[in-house]
Amino acid sequence: MSVTQLLFTARWFHRGVKQLNLQLKTNNAGKMALLMFCLLMFAATTVQAAVPGVIPPVGTFEGKDVPQPIEFPHDIHAKINGINCMYCHTYARRSKVAGIPPTSKCMGCHSIIATDKPRIKKLTEYWEKKESPKWKKVHDMPDFVHFTHEKHLKKFVFDNEEMQVENVSEVCAFCHGDVKEGTVAKKSKSLTMGFCRECHEANGGPFDCWKCHK
Amino acid sequence: MSLNNIKRRKFLKIMGWSGAGATLAGCDMPTTMTVQEGKEEVVSYLSPEEYVIPGVGVWYASTCQQCSAGCGVHGRVREGRVLKLEGNPEAGVNAGKLCQMGQSALQTHYNPDRITAPQIRSNGVLSSASWDEAYDLLKKKIGADSGLKGSRAAWVTGNVSGHQSVLIDAHLDALGASQHYTQEVINDSVWQAVSKDMLGVANPRVRIDKAQAILSLGADFLGTWGSPVQNAVEYGSFRDSPRGVLIQAEPTMSLTGSNADLWLPVKPGTEGVLALGVANVLMSNHGVKNIPAQFKSLVNQYTLEETSKITGLTGEHILFTAKTLKERSPSLVLAGASAQGHENGYEIVAATMMLNIVLGNLGKTIEGGKQLPFSQMVATEGNTRDLLALSDDLSAGKYDVLFFFGANPVYSAPEALKIKDGLKNVDFKVSFSMFNDETTAQADLVLPLASSLEDWGTHVAAKQGARSEVSIQQPLMEKIYPETMGFGDIMLSLLKMQKVDAYAGFSDYYSYLRNAVNNMPGFKAKNGGEAWKEAMQAGSLEVKGRSLNVASKAVSIKMSVPADDAQYPLTLIPSARLGLWDGRHANLPWLQEAPDQMSKVVWDSWVEIHPRTAAKIGVKEGDLINIASEQGTIKAKAYIYKGVNQNAIAVPIGQGHEGYGRYADGVGVNPLQILNPAVDKKTGELAMFATRVKISKAGKANDILVRMGGSETQVGRKLAATVSADVFERTEGGA
Amino acid sequence: MSLSNLLGNWSAYRKTHEEGGFHDYEHMWGMSIDLNKCIGCNACSVACYAENNLPVVGKEKFEKGQAMHWLRIERYWDEPDLGESRVSEYQHHGASFVPMMCQQCNAATCEPVCPVAATYHTPDGLNAQVYNRCIGSRYCSNNCPYRLRYFNFYSYYEDAWPAPLNMQLNPDLSVRDKGVMEKCTFCVQRIRTVKDKAKMDDRPVMDGEVQTACMQTCPTSAIKFGDILNLHSPEKAEATDVSRSWRKHQVELGKHTQNKQNKDLRGYRIHEGLNTDPCVMFLERVREV
Repeated sequence: MSVTQLLFTARWFHRGVKQLNLQLKTNNAGKMALLMFCLLMFAATTVQAAVPGVIPPVGTFEGKDVPQPIEFPHDIHAKINGINCMYCHTYARRSKVAGIPPTSKCMGCHSIIATDKPRIKKLTEYWEKKESPKWKKVHDMPDFVHFTHEKHLKKFVFDNEEMQVENVSEVCAFCHGDVKEGTVAKKSKSLTMGFCRECHEANGGPFDCWKCHK
Repeated sequence: MSLNNIKRRKFLKIMGWSGAGATLAGCDMPTTMTVQEGKEEVVSYLSPEEYVIPGVGVWYASTCQQCSAGCGVHGRVREGRVLKLEGNPEAGVNAGKLCQMGQSALQTHYNPDRITAPQIRSNGVLSSASWDEAYDLLKKKIGADSGLKGSRAAWVTGNVSGHQSVLIDAHLDALGASQHYTQEVINDSVWQAVSKDMLGVANPRVRIDKAQAILSLGADFLGTWGSPVQNAVEYGSFRDSPRGVLIQAEPTMSLTGSNADLWLPVKPGTEGVLALGVANVLMSNHGVKNIPAQFKSLVNQYTLEETSKITGLTGEHILFTAKTLKERSPSLVLAGASAQGHENGYEIVAATMMLNIVLGNLGKTIEGGKQLPFSQMVATEGNTRDLLALSDDLSAGKYDVLFFFGANPVYSAPEALKIKDGLKNVDFKVSFSMFNDETTAQADLVLPLASSLEDWGTHVAAKQGARSEVSIQQPLMEKIYPETMGFGDIMLSLLKMQKVDAYAGFSDYYSYLRNAVNNMPGFKAKNGGEAWKEAMQAGSLEVKGRSLNVASKAVSIKMSVPADDAQYPLTLIPSARLGLWDGRHANLPWLQEAPDQMSKVVWDSWVEIHPRTAAKIGVKEGDLINIASEQGTIKAKAYIYKGVNQNAIAVPIGQGHEGYGRYADGVGVNPLQILNPAVDKKTGELAMFATRVKISKAGKANDILVRMGGSETQVGRKLAATVSADVFERTEGGA
Repeated sequence: MSLSNLLGNWSAYRKTHEEGGFHDYEHMWGMSIDLNKCIGCNACSVACYAENNLPVVGKEKFEKGQAMHWLRIERYWDEPDLGESRVSEYQHHGASFVPMMCQQCNAATCEPVCPVAATYHTPDGLNAQVYNRCIGSRYCSNNCPYRLRYFNFYSYYEDAWPAPLNMQLNPDLSVRDKGVMEKCTFCVQRIRTVKDKAKMDDRPVMDGEVQTACMQTCPTSAIKFGDILNLHSPEKAEATDVSRSWRKHQVELGKHTQNKQNKDLRGYRIHEGLNTDPCVMFLERVREV
């Protein structure tokens, strides 16, 4: 169990205790000590988290390897070259979907950069045929789910005073995992309703069914 | 399962959490919980405009083509598909509102029964071909070397306007032809003929919003007369305090009639007498002195007693009508399909127009409208005179080549006109069409059209609203079927085929229109920008028209009423509905499933019949009735209610298609088929509401008349409560 | 939403009633439908089909009462309020049209009877139907006095939209499967979109910003839609058009009989006496007498 998960669980325990109105048979000093411990745990959780003021969702998922028409290397783009997620996935802050970048965005650089590489050559082929690659969707929600990227980005990044936009990949990692390590996307979080609910509950998100079920 | 997961689940259970998804984490995820990776595809855009954001719709302005009103629409487009249409708030015609036909334009566009490639007839059968083959055939039949004489070719269309009209005229010119039949079954052409003669303006602008009282003789202005959405928008103001009074006189209840304060079941063909009778009461009881000289003797002739006897209406109702028109000023008197559709239709409508003159409505609720600066783009409105002329000319074997666009005369013409037979005399028939309708099924060459949501165009509404405008039509998405073509694009190719130089420089209709709009006379773009760009954003271009005035002129008329006929005692009313219209929308499932406004029938035809008339032949609801005119017989199921004059029966038009797709084929009957080919003596228009029939019980139908469920009355529940108008004025007056 | 939360919400509602307010609600969406202006044209009904992925069921199923028109126009021929003298040989006074859709009752009779809490009251004052949770007991539609709930007896998605009709489907809401109850949602997808946009712009939702499909297309503007949350607080009540309409006609929420000072005012709610507390107010039809 990771430290974060331990602390998260501890905080849960604390809240659970409060909800169930368990009578802790301690005196005032004892109560104060317990309170301090819990507060410390809470603070520790938040200080430890990569995104300030946010309790990230927990859990992992063994995703399948999904072959894509072009094996897009996130490691080269996001890790080595440090390109911000939102440079390509522009729509994340203004739409429901983050969006697969239009081919024109790729060609913006790759009409000049690395044009001798085989994957770039393949990309250029698509561009010249006036076709876009048919990417396979890795992080998919069922049709009855309404998820907006823009609101989540607003809450965790733009309205979050301590958060820098340059670190947006930490927020993206909440649900998409650490994309910088691999080439094509691979699902590493379950993205089940429970996964969403936990984070909503921890961070004060809405819990009205009709907010997300359409 | 790891230790980690079990612990968390237990905690969640303690929290009282019962969300189904929450208790599962880790491996063995049921795929109903979340969609499997790699199952769905997502194709990125290639090079989108800046404003195109996936997940957020882009709205484009265009013009609806479901009828000829030409309402402005805003289409919501997401990921390259148009999903929803709304009215364009900036459009002068409809001020942001849209009727169900407009909403259903989506189903016309996405219809599964569209023709997707050109069709050429060989050995009696139509089969798919390429555009090259289609143009080769056209070249052979009408090209410069074809030897075609101009007088042997003609166009048959419905209402047309804008640059489409310009190109059709240009094509006729290029062929050395001159005949253009513009035919529409739903039209107000007799009203226009009378307006021209008596007001000096053919298309006056009626101001329903300004009227305090409306007497409508069969003008279904909320449904099928004039510009329905525009009229309905004005009706909303009409009913605000001080509330206008609506009196509707017609043989069977129309949508407008169902909203009337007083509905008068006038005997068919006696509407003119009613108008004269009302004038008589105005003269006798209300001191009105300005009856035009030409009408004086007629007005004197039709006393209250005489009028009541002839029309079948009570004296009380006629008195109330005259009183209301006089006291609630300004008033407005209209005449529609059931009034004009008689052998003396012109005279009936003239008597109606006389009331407007006498009541001083000219310039108040009847305005001259505006004359627009480009006469070749102004709407050519269809009528039935052209349909009759077409019938005659076909029988005479006048044509070798016919072009059809927006017209389905094989369906809408009465059998007696023998259109289908007449077409056999035409060697080469070309149909520009989206669907395999009855006329297209007779064609030798079918050119598949792009839908109105995929095509360019300009339109000039015949009934302009508050501002004069040229309405723009632009594609809301790429063509679904690559082998369909925009009408304008095909026309440009045809014009180039005839070597018309003026069009040689335009690669497609888009560039032609862009050039035309940018050079439009009488228009200046704001801020010196490009007119085209402004037009695209707004959906229309405001143009300066010349204001026209209405001024009363003299006409002399006689008055008569249809004689009773013992053999054919009832009059058949082929009523049009806001929905299927003249039958063109029978292939749209939403409109078939939308219950008829009065009878609530779906997916069928029916006969509207008064309980007394029904009792005479022993018919109950849903029973089959045989309806026989001199021309033929149809059968339909009975809907019995009191919104029908006892001397009439109504069978709404629009059903009874042969072919025309899965939603229309074989549904209901077409009453237009059995109409008598009688005409209005003065205008030559088909007297569509003058056909006499006899009815008999035809036994039980094979299926029942399906209607929307619910009772005909409220059965003591307060569902639709009503208050009297004076209570309304007392509580909400002056609001 | 857990069952305990759900029950808590209902008690909170009842409690806030007594205290004269809806404290935890963000909005309370309501309508005002003027029967003086409704012409019964059906444009609203078809617009609803277009917006909400409603399947066309065809003649046979329609006859069995399985039509899926979330908004239907009811047509009545009688005028009981104006007395027996109005009945005669002919239908001299036209018809009465009543557009009926889910009334989003504050004390909905459908909510308590769902065995799995698939229908509940949202903080927007809407009666929500969660398709995933519904198991198809149909108890809710049984209990609805307005008969406004529609059950998917068939998997309409299999044949109601033959290609390319399926390209018209609105991605903002589900296409429902067999076994699921559905009804008018006051175009919650549009409400959601507008609220999201307002949140993104850090501002409140403006009056008239949310337009339901029916009200947007209604040619006579008979249908008004808006927020009636502050109906009972005099300082804020005048903020929305619909709120003003309710106040003008002295119709209040939380009552099963209205206590109007002027009994002639036209506003009324249908089946109010059943204590459903609907959010839709109708204005009586008017006729010259």
